[in-house]
Amino acid sequence: MESEFDINQGGLRADGRRPLELRRIRMRLGVFTQADGSAYVEQGKTKILATVYGPHQPRGKAISSSTKDVKGIVNCQYSSAVFSFGAAERKKKPRGDRKSQEASQQLRHAMEAIINLELFARSQIDIFVEILQMDGSEFCVAVNAATLALIDAGISIKDYAIGCSITVSDSLLGEDDDGQCTEILDANWVEECCPSVTLSIVALPKVVDETETKSSVILTHGSGQRLHLSKLEPLRIKALQGCKDIRTIIDEAVKNHLEIFSIATALDK
Amino acid sequence: MIKSNKTEQCNYLIRLATDRIDHSFPCNQDQQLIFFTPGEEISTQPDFLKGHGTYVDQQGILRASVAGPLEKVNKLISVKPYKTRYQGEIGDVVIGRITEVQRKRWKVDTNAKLDSALLLSSVNLPGGELRRRSVEDEQSMRRYLQEGDLICAEVQSIFADGSLSLHTRVLKYGKLSQGIMLKVSPALIKRQKTHFHNLTNGACLILGNNGYVWIGANFTDVDRSDGGFTQDLSRVRQENREVCARLRNCILGLAKSNILLSDTSVTYAYEESMKYNIRELLQPEVQLDVALLTHQRLVL
Amino acid sequence: MAEIPLSLAEKTFILHGIDADFRNDGRSRTHYRCMELETKLMDQVHGSARLRIGNTDVLVGVKVEIDTPYPDSPGDGKLEFFVDCSANATPSFEGRGGENLANEISNVLALAYQSPDAMDLTQLSILPHKKCWKLFVDILILECGGNLFDAVAIAVKAALYSTEIPKVKCATLDGGEADIALSDDTYESVKLDTTNFPILVSLYKIGDSCVVDPTSEEEMCSSASIVISVMPNGRISSIVKMGYGSVHPTTLSKTLDMGTKVGIELNNEIISALKREDELGLNREIIGFLR
Repeated sequence: MESEFDINQGGLRADGRRPLELRRIRMRLGVFTQADGSAYVEQGKTKILATVYGPHQPRGKAISSSTKDVKGIVNCQYSSAVFSFGAAERKKKPRGDRKSQEASQQLRHAMEAIINLELFARSQIDIFVEILQMDGSEFCVAVNAATLALIDAGISIKDYAIGCSITVSDSLLGEDDDGQCTEILDANWVEECCPSVTLSIVALPKVVDETETKSSVILTHGSGQRLHLSKLEPLRIKALQGCKDIRTIIDEAVKNHLEIFSIATALDK
Repeated sequence: MIKSNKTEQCNYLIRLATDRIDHSFPCNQDQQLIFFTPGEEISTQPDFLKGHGTYVDQQGILRASVAGPLEKVNKLISVKPYKTRYQGEIGDVVIGRITEVQRKRWKVDTNAKLDSALLLSSVNLPGGELRRRSVEDEQSMRRYLQEGDLICAEVQSIFADGSLSLHTRVLKYGKLSQGIMLKVSPALIKRQKTHFHNLTNGACLILGNNGYVWIGANFTDVDRSDGGFTQDLSRVRQENREVCARLRNCILGLAKSNILLSDTSVTYAYEESMKYNIRELLQPEVQLDVALLTHQRLVL
Repeated sequence: MAEIPLSLAEKTFILHGIDADFRNDGRSRTHYRCMELETKLMDQVHGSARLRIGNTDVLVGVKVEIDTPYPDSPGDGKLEFFVDCSANATPSFEGRGGENLANEISNVLALAYQSPDAMDLTQLSILPHKKCWKLFVDILILECGGNLFDAVAIAVKAALYSTEIPKVKCATLDGGEADIALSDDTYESVKLDTTNFPILVSLYKIGDSCVVDPTSEEEMCSSASIVISVMPNGRISSIVKMGYGSVHPTTLSKTLDMGTKVGIELNNEIISALKREDELGLNREIIGFLR
């Protein structure tokens, strides 16, 4: 595996993308019939399914703790198929490991930030994400898939929560004097494996676009090595641009889906 | 258009994904719908009334919170999603399944955000409407309705937390007997004066506002003077059974193509389906064909 | 799976229908619903397949790796089944909720493929005593709408059919150490001999008769079921009884006859579907979950 980004080759990455270029995004709403909402998102080779059940009467353990709550409960599970890894290796367990549990938590935070929970007093919304194939930026794609599943379920949300990852090559981080950090958006698996810092940003792009509030970033999580604080702000801006681009693509797909579905009500005379 | 080269696929039990067909079809839309998606700005003007599927942000801008077409009634603006849980309204006819028997009330699954309640005082007990509810009645609640039983009821009121209170105090409501229950999106049920339909083929159809559809197998009117808690468990005649099965497949086919369900559309689909045998109606091509024919008759 | 039971009247209706050999959706007792199959839809595994029957949706991924054979069967390769019930299928599978069902399915599969007549493990051997291929067959259950066992087995068979094991260029013993060189050409691969691979046919006893391919509602009416694995030549490689009910010996033999007949037909259908898919060539569009 290459240990360097091949960015020097005419400014292109190993897969031929420009540094801030996204991979192809394909998606579908309403994959399953039994769930309240479901969505499938493909970003490059990363393939993810998300389903939403609810809002429904809380069942099981959530019941006792929440009966007096005025807000709805969001329950998330982030799980990956054992055959989802890119290399020949196989995942030992689909879920329950530290990384999946952390991702479940973070997914829940992201979803709690967008759902209008006060409308779902005392009820529960289940969001399940299943990674079918991993090729980098899984968490971000999972957030996008979960958002789409919520939309398919007709659950009231403030805005799309859009995830986008930004990776800074570590080998170039040290050469601060050159002033040229190489940041790439939507890294694939090979790029993520290089010594680098990957920052996953989840944002509400629409709201930030029109109101310019800085609090729009609802979640970030980094992995890999250290990152100088001064680098954070430019990274955030670049990643936000990525989020906006993804939002445009996804929004178009949702509108397209609505148009196809529109027949039923058109007949309502 | 789709039929040409793909009809041969019908004969195979195992189909290939490349032959998957699209159940939606383009149609001449007489009304132009405007679609909104979550976060999208609807209006900055303050002279609106915030309806379902919208919210006002800190800047006072009205935004959509779900994806769907915009509906405007005078100043009330709402966005209606195509698929959602049932939002109860007083007077709606619903089909529900008992999930729990509690003290003085049954809990009912009605496809809403929370389980609905059917109070013991909101049902007709055997022995007349004005009878007092005694402790014995409370203790024998499970005799009337137990977990898993299906009921047809009307939404009586909505509790503060948004859950629904049902009643069955009219004779047409109550426990359902033999038949088939289907689940579709509540948005696919056309709002009508009555949701009870006795179709010309003899079947009894209840299109619950909550998206649960009941196809009753009892073609004769049953005596409901005992509160409607007895079930007729006798064998259903074969021709009645065939009507039910055909109706089931037709309704599911219409729902797949997102055609609004009403007594008219179901009857049309039933009639158009007669050229196929009942089992063929499970095939996607046939379902689409029936849906197309039904749609054509509906727009005429 | 069943969270809420059906009412007595609904059950009666289903039961009488099966008695009359006319089910709620118009099928007879031995009819399957329409299925949809696609293979090679995942590109990071050696073999994959997705099967949808009614609302049941199963995705299978096969990965191979080089391993050491078991000491008591040095000439054989290894085959392992793992089932994961995704919470996507139903919220009750969340966390460890689907584990019991998953174990049940993987055990039945292992039993069906255990017989050397069904699956010849020697074709997975590279160097006896030293190296062999290990096949991981991972099954992901995405939606449950009845008849899981049959769906899983068909998907497994199709995934194994599509599996491409890298070609071993040379395997030599070098001073007791195995030296294995794989072909550099990724298109050069070996396919498994799937001619005898079994499928599962579940027969659900409802009332006095048995049905195949039940919907979830019909499953709720059944007290006992018999899952048999049928090879294309009509031989049975395993029989498992599930559920709390009991089965009379005469019913059992009748059921087996029915199951074998259905199984042979189903096997032919699978092979025909896989052949048709092969005919579409390498440039076949992968549809997966899109469209």
